[in-house]
Amino acid sequence: MSALLITLLVIGGITLFLIILFINTYNRLVTLRNRFQNGFSQIEVQLKRRYDLIPNLIETAKGYMAHERETLEAVIQARNQAAGGLQTASTNPGNPQAMQALSGAEQLLTGALGKFFALSEAYPDLKANQNMMQLSEEITSTENKVAFSRQAYNDAVTSYNTYRETFPPIVIAGLVGHGQNAELLNFDSEKIAEAPKVSFT
Amino acid sequence: MSTNFFERQDTAHRHTGRLVLLFCLAVIAIVGGSSLVTYLAVDYVESQNVAHGYRNVSGLNKTAAALYVGIGSAVLIVLGTLFKIAQLTGGGSVIAEQLGGRLLHHNTSKGSEQQLLNVVEEMALASGVPVPPVYLLEGEDSINAFAAGYSPSDAVIGVTRGSVEKLSREQLQGVIAHEFSHILNGDMRLNIRLIGVLHGILLLGLMGEFLLRTAAFSGGGRDKKDGGLGLVVVLVALAIFILGYVGMFMGSLIKAAVSRQREFLADASAVQFTRNPNGLAGALKRIGAKLQGSSIKHHHASQASHMFFAQGVNLYFASLATHPPLKQRIEAIDPAWDGQFPTITSKTTGPTSAPAKKQTSTAAAVPTAAMAAAGVAAMSLSGQQQSQTPGPAVADLAQASGQIGNPTVDHQRYAAQLIGSLPDELTTAAHEAYGARAVIYGLLLDKDPEIRDRQLQTLDQQASPDVVKLTHQLIGAIDALDAHTRLPLVDMTLPALRSMSTDQYRTFVTCFQALAAADEQLGFFEWILHHILLRHLKPQFERVRPARVVYYGLQRLGEPCSVLFSSLARVGHTDAQAAVAFAAAKEVLDDVPLQLLDSNDCNLAHLQNALEQLAQVAIKQKERLINGAAACIAADQEVSVREAELLRAISDTLDCHMPPLLPGQLIAPVTTADSAPPDKTS
Repeated sequence: MSALLITLLVIGGITLFLIILFINTYNRLVTLRNRFQNGFSQIEVQLKRRYDLIPNLIETAKGYMAHERETLEAVIQARNQAAGGLQTASTNPGNPQAMQALSGAEQLLTGALGKFFALSEAYPDLKANQNMMQLSEEITSTENKVAFSRQAYNDAVTSYNTYRETFPPIVIAGLVGHGQNAELLNFDSEKIAEAPKVSFT
Repeated sequence: MSTNFFERQDTAHRHTGRLVLLFCLAVIAIVGGSSLVTYLAVDYVESQNVAHGYRNVSGLNKTAAALYVGIGSAVLIVLGTLFKIAQLTGGGSVIAEQLGGRLLHHNTSKGSEQQLLNVVEEMALASGVPVPPVYLLEGEDSINAFAAGYSPSDAVIGVTRGSVEKLSREQLQGVIAHEFSHILNGDMRLNIRLIGVLHGILLLGLMGEFLLRTAAFSGGGRDKKDGGLGLVVVLVALAIFILGYVGMFMGSLIKAAVSRQREFLADASAVQFTRNPNGLAGALKRIGAKLQGSSIKHHHASQASHMFFAQGVNLYFASLATHPPLKQRIEAIDPAWDGQFPTITSKTTGPTSAPAKKQTSTAAAVPTAAMAAAGVAAMSLSGQQQSQTPGPAVADLAQASGQIGNPTVDHQRYAAQLIGSLPDELTTAAHEAYGARAVIYGLLLDKDPEIRDRQLQTLDQQASPDVVKLTHQLIGAIDALDAHTRLPLVDMTLPALRSMSTDQYRTFVTCFQALAAADEQLGFFEWILHHILLRHLKPQFERVRPARVVYYGLQRLGEPCSVLFSSLARVGHTDAQAAVAFAAAKEVLDDVPLQLLDSNDCNLAHLQNALEQLAQVAIKQKERLINGAAACIAADQEVSVREAELLRAISDTLDCHMPPLLPGQLIAPVTTADSAPPDKTS
């Protein structure tokens, strides 16, 4: 057996191994990315539903809360902004800017809605309105659904990011368009335990 | 062509066997060829060296070199094959996503997508397989579809945007029915193996190409210093390269030939399923009209070409086509066709609804007579005519094996009606991962208020509060459900539950098990639910080994068979009735040593073990098992919901998917299952 033949065989074997490893890694990256993108489409469905419900809610409240025009308008504006953010995010799920924009808009909307619901406490007629009760119930349940699909999405993103950063993938991830970690989607509603700011001035 | 599910599955298995043999021969030929070339090349170089008086190659042994090359190429092919198969068994969703598919959700706003999901759901419920997730190939304007996956549990259906937008409901139904036939006939497994072996051979060709380039680059050819070794390498590389690509070409020919045959079969089954050749023919004609065609643009399309509904990749050789020519396919299902493709200019869907009478007559005239003689013939075409007398129903059930994998238009109509009869609240919840969990939890709740309280407490501790709240909301609707709609509802939740993340799945399984264990004994329905639901859900989240055929006869399986039939015989029967039922099963399986076991030996744990063993039986024997089970249940001319559910769970475990029992087939009052205390199968 000549040395040249052995060398060639060894080189061939190693190359083959590397090619297989490359293909495997690449495919796994694509699969994981697809998985979190599909996870995002689940969130999208629920968020859209939420954005569709809000105008109805405001329409119902208008008759009762004529003096709170500003709050109502703030809700509608936040809703429109969030809907725009969703549109950008859905074309490119996992993109850090898009995700942060969406989560910022969502937080604004949640804040505006919270204010609206707090104000509506002062209008017993409105609270007793059948339509209003149904709508607010549905909005709450949609929010739960969003939270659930967001959890699934974040799990998928985490497994994508973790895989991307492990050793063989990290070498080639950048070369084949997986150079960036996908962004988690946080609406910060969980940050209840944030320490209150106290100033002694 | 074969007539029933078991024969078709059997044909698929034998095809696979024959293919594997053919490919083995091809691989042996390739390996032998490359060894031979190596031997001759070394021989030639040595003789040249001797003739020219050069120093001989440094100890290059002809036989050893040939052996090394032979072993090397064999290992390469096998590794390549196994690698590809391992990759593809990751599930249908992997293939669908590689082709650029987007998972469709039920509450998407688009009407056409909603329609597609409804069609798929009806078909799945009608044929008794878990509802597969549906992927939309967004970038494809052509009309095409595919089914992918290794087994019905991880099957997915992919449909191009063109099909969704341009086909009428009837045509779409034809296309989807065609894909379901692929799922039911075991074609997907065959497909995956085909892709795998072809990949192995292709890898050899690539290796040859690589060696050739390296040798050429390093200035190979005839060199005095290495005593002609470079020339040997070039010759061997060339041989491997040529053999690899020729092998690939031959393999593609075999693949195409098999695929074309399976396509005809799927067309025939689809027509039999929908009883409406116009739908499928209409879809094929639209492809023929060449407005959009059927070609798939995605770069991964060629490796999955034989999975598609119609030719997805354009080719130069007709014998490489994975699908029969359109004209032949249309003529086979619609003999009255004039050979003209309709000229469709507008985007509107063509008028396809012909008078009903004409449809049935053409269906009867289908020349590729894959019409199942058993089961189908016994059933009347219109749902209203289902008689309430026990006679025909029991007869239908006795031919249970004829029904499996052969859903009829009755089943489809029944499935549609079933979906319609469920309260909206439940269907909406079942269609999303969030609500689907609540539906399953609700189904698991016991009728006994004391146990139910305990279960709800467990749920409070384990599940998140909003799911608990939702479960409470749904309890009323779930309690009001008709017993026979429970399993179809479970089937409906599957695609939604699959979209959970792994962590969410774990929590779900923990809650599920806690609820099932709350009454301190594994109840009957809980067992069935556990079986059907988790069996189909598991492959999505964990690696599950597919069942292998270990037993080709039932003679050695007297014990598990006895457990199976004894349990079936004792469900809701007295000792005397059980003996009669057991005797009926014994009659069907006369060569198996069966013994009616004591009721204490018929617990669910034993049944579980028995079923696991019986799942490893060859497909032909499964047919006998299911016939025996059906005979056992129908022996007393009465089929209760519980018996029917058990029969479905059993055939599901055996990988045979049973269409739901039609209304006329349920004879016992529906309440028997509900009023009975939680069952211990005793």
